[in-house]
Amino acid sequence: MKNDIQPVKMTIDGQEVLVKPELTILQAAQQNGIRIPTLCHHAALSDRGGCRMCVVEVDGAPRLAASCVTPVRDGMQVVTVNERITETRRTILEFLFAERNHNCMFCPQSGDCELQDLAYELQMDHLTVPQSFHEFPVDITSDTIGLDHNRCILCGRCVRACEEISGCYVLNFQNRGPGTLIGFDLNEIREESACTSCGACLQVCPTGALYNRYRTHYSVKGHPKDWQTIQTVCPLCGLLCPTVSTIRDNHLLKIEGAIPAGDEQPEGGQLCRQGRFDVLKNSGRRLLHPMVKKADGSWAEASWESALDITIDRLNAVRDAHGGNAVVGLASGLSSNEELVCFRDLMVKGWETGQIATLENSGFQNIYRIGPDKGQTFKEVSWKKIAEADFILAVGAVTHDSQPVVGSLIRKRIIRDNMRSAGIGPNDFLYPYGTHHIPLKNGDELLLIKTILSEAIKVMKKTASAPDVGKIFEQTEPVKAQDIVKKLHLDGKAQAALDEIIRDYVDSTNPLIIVAEDIAAQKNPSGLRALVNLALLKELYGNESLRLIVLKPGGNSMGAYKLLHPFDQEEQAETVPKGGLVLLEQNPFQDTPSLKIPGNLDFLAVISPYWPDSLVDCAHVLIPKPLWMETDGTCTGLDGSEIAFRQKMLDAPAEINPSWQTLVDLAARANVHLDYGSWDELRQKAEQEVQKEVSGEKT
Amino acid sequence: MKKPKLATVWCEACAGCHMSFLDLDEALVDILAQVELTVSPLTDFKDYAFPQVDVGIVEGGVGNEENREVIEHLRQQCRFLIAWGDCAVFGGIHTLRNWLSKDEVLRCGYVETASTVNGIIPAHEDIPQLLDKVLPVNAVVAVDGYIPGCPPAPEALAYCLKELLAGRLPVLPADMIHFD
Repeated sequence: MKNDIQPVKMTIDGQEVLVKPELTILQAAQQNGIRIPTLCHHAALSDRGGCRMCVVEVDGAPRLAASCVTPVRDGMQVVTVNERITETRRTILEFLFAERNHNCMFCPQSGDCELQDLAYELQMDHLTVPQSFHEFPVDITSDTIGLDHNRCILCGRCVRACEEISGCYVLNFQNRGPGTLIGFDLNEIREESACTSCGACLQVCPTGALYNRYRTHYSVKGHPKDWQTIQTVCPLCGLLCPTVSTIRDNHLLKIEGAIPAGDEQPEGGQLCRQGRFDVLKNSGRRLLHPMVKKADGSWAEASWESALDITIDRLNAVRDAHGGNAVVGLASGLSSNEELVCFRDLMVKGWETGQIATLENSGFQNIYRIGPDKGQTFKEVSWKKIAEADFILAVGAVTHDSQPVVGSLIRKRIIRDNMRSAGIGPNDFLYPYGTHHIPLKNGDELLLIKTILSEAIKVMKKTASAPDVGKIFEQTEPVKAQDIVKKLHLDGKAQAALDEIIRDYVDSTNPLIIVAEDIAAQKNPSGLRALVNLALLKELYGNESLRLIVLKPGGNSMGAYKLLHPFDQEEQAETVPKGGLVLLEQNPFQDTPSLKIPGNLDFLAVISPYWPDSLVDCAHVLIPKPLWMETDGTCTGLDGSEIAFRQKMLDAPAEINPSWQTLVDLAARANVHLDYGSWDELRQKAEQEVQKEVSGEKT
Repeated sequence: MKKPKLATVWCEACAGCHMSFLDLDEALVDILAQVELTVSPLTDFKDYAFPQVDVGIVEGGVGNEENREVIEHLRQQCRFLIAWGDCAVFGGIHTLRNWLSKDEVLRCGYVETASTVNGIIPAHEDIPQLLDKVLPVNAVVAVDGYIPGCPPAPEALAYCLKELLAGRLPVLPADMIHFD
C-alpha cells in the first residue's frame, strides 16, 4: 500500500529532491544533507515551531515559514539560507541572549550549549538590543537536577521530554509573557514535586537551564574538545538501556540515554535516576591493595600472592573441618555473566559448595519453582512487549526502585493509547493514570489473584470454548469471591474495580501481568500457581512465553539465577556456613549491601571495588577489583533471553586485576584448573550457558 | 604612505584583552610595522587628550563616568571604533553587578566584605561616579566592529586589523567567534 504513495518533488536551495509526502521541510532538508539551524526542535521530541530558528523562505513568500512544522508540498521552492533569513535568525538569537542571563563567560554549561553554538554559527558577534538584567529564581532543592531560570530560553524541550519521554507531565510553562517560567507541577519547588528524577529534561535542555548537579563544574568537565564518548548499556537493571557516556581523562562526566536507542528500546534517551545520577555518586573509599587483617584486628597491606594464598588456605581448612557446604559464596547481582561463571566454577570445583547466591534477595526465583507445568520451562515475556499490550495488571508492582523505566513505559501506553490497566497492592504506582487500583495490604495480593482467576474462569466457561485452558479450569479450586472480599475488607469501590478488572482481563486479547519481586518471592505455592494459571488463561505470547513480567532486584539477577544454581535456603538450613567468599560491586541502590552473613565465620574474604564498610568487621581478607564501569562484561536482560555487552568506560587503576582473573588465580591455588582461554572465549561460554538454560534444560 | 594610527584604551576590564594582544608574539612585529600605536596601556601613554587616530580599540565595559568620557572622546577622535573582548561587546563579567542596585554594590564592596572594618563608601569629586549598570560600548557610542571572547583570540584582533588595513569593515568569521 505504502508504495502507492507518490513522492513529492520539491526544490531546496536549487537542489531538486524527491521526498515522502508526510515529511516536514526540515526533515526533507536533513535527509538530503542540507543543514537548517534549529533550537526548539529535538530528534527525540515532537515539534512545536516555537523558536523560529529554522525559518526558511517558501516560494518567495514575504513571510518566512518554520521548517520544522511546515509539511512539504509538490513543487515547493525552498530557500534555507540567504541574507534575510540569516538576519532573521540572528535577530531571534539576540533577543534570546538579551532576555535573560546568557553570559557564557560565567556559565558552567559554556562549551556544551546549543544556544552558544548557534550564536557562533550565525556570527552573532554583538547584541543590538539592550539586555534585561531581570532576576529569575534558581531551584537547587534537588540533589540531582538544578534549574536556573536565568539560563532558560523557554524552548519547551523539557516540557515535551517530561510528557513524551518519561510520561510524567511534571514540567510545564507557568505565568505569561516575559515572566514565563518552567514549573514543576503546580509551581512547586523541585523537591516537592512528583518528578521522578529521570533526567530526560536535562538531557534535551539546549542551554544550562536544567543541569546535572553532579560533575558540571568547569574544573571537572574541562573542555568538550577533550571529551570522549562511549556507547554502552546501563547494567543497573534488566532493561539494559543503551547509553552514551562522556569521559574526560578517565573520569566519568555524564551518562545519557542513546538517541535513537534502536529497536524496541526505551525511546528518546530515556534513563532513570539510578542510571543517570546515582552512578555519579562517590560510593566510598576505593580499595587499591589487597588487605589482610592482623591478629590485633588492624588491617595491613599485603601482596596479591599472599592475600590469595591466605584465602585459599583458610577456606580449604574450613572445608576440611566442616565439609564443602560450610563454604558459602555470595556474589553481587550486578556482577557480569563472566564473573558469575568464574565465581561459580571456583566455588563448586574448589570446595564442592552448594551454597552460592546473590547478595540481593533472590526470593523472586520462587515463582520459577512453580513452572507452568512439569517439564515445561518458565519463560517470561520480554518487557519490550509492554508496547503491544492492551491490558496490564500490575501485581504489587512498585517499580520506582528496581526498574523505574517500566513504570514510565506503562504510563506512556496508558496516556497515548488509552490502554487499560489495573494495579493491586499497597500503593498505586500508576496514579493518576491507571484505570483501576485496589489497595491491599502487602501480602494479600495473591489471595486476590486467586479470586480473579476463579472468577475469570467462571466468565470464560460461559463465553468461550477454551480447550487449551480446560486443564486449568479443572485444576483451579473455585474461590468464594464474597468471602475474600470480606476478608480483604474491600469497599464498594474496590469491589466494582475488581469486577472490571476481571472483565478487562477476560476481554483483552493481549494482556500482560507485571509481578513485583516481593510477590514472586512469596512462599505461597498455591498463590503463585494461581498467578501463573491466570497468565495461562490467555495463550502464550508468541506461542512461547508466559504473559508474566517478573521484576528483579539486581541488575544481572537473571544471569545470576541462570548461572549460580541457587541453593534453596530451607534445604541447606542444617549446614551452618563457617567460611565464605563475597564478590561485591558498586551498588548505587544501597551504600551497604544487605548481607546476611550468618554467625561468626571462621574466615571471610571479600573481593570489592570499595572498602566494604559493612563487612570490615567480619572479613579477614579484602581483595580489590575494578568497578563495573572499568571492565567489559555481559549482562542478562530482565526475561533472561537477551544478553547485552557492557563495554568498559574507564581504565581501572593499574595495580588492580580484573575480578575474573583474581578468581582464576584463586582457583589455581585451590588446585582447580579453570581454563577459559581468552576473555572472549569466557564470554562465549557464559553466553552459551545463559542461552542453554533459556532453551529449557532446567526443569 | 603614512602609517595608520591606532589607539587602545581599557575601561572596566581586567587587561586580559591586552595580554591576548601581546600573545600575538612575533606577529606583533609585522603589525607594528604597518600601524602606529599611539595612546595605549601598552605604550603607557596616559594622556587621553590625544589627536585624531584611524582606529580606536576598546577593552572593557562602560562602568563609570570616567569610562563614559574616555569612550565618547575616543569615538570623536577615531574613524573606526572596535569593541574588543566580552566586556566591551556584551558587558561581560562586570554585568554580574547589574542584578544589584548601585548602592548595594558599593555597600558590598566597601562595607560588608568580611575583611572590612569600619568601611566607608569613598566619595570625592575626583572619584568618578559608578553608573547604574555596566554597559557594553555600543550602548554608549556607535561601534564599527566587534571582537567577542574572554579573552578574545590574538588571531581575531590580527584578522580585524588586517581587514581594516585592506579597507574593509571587519566581521569575524564563525570559527573565530567565541564567548569564553
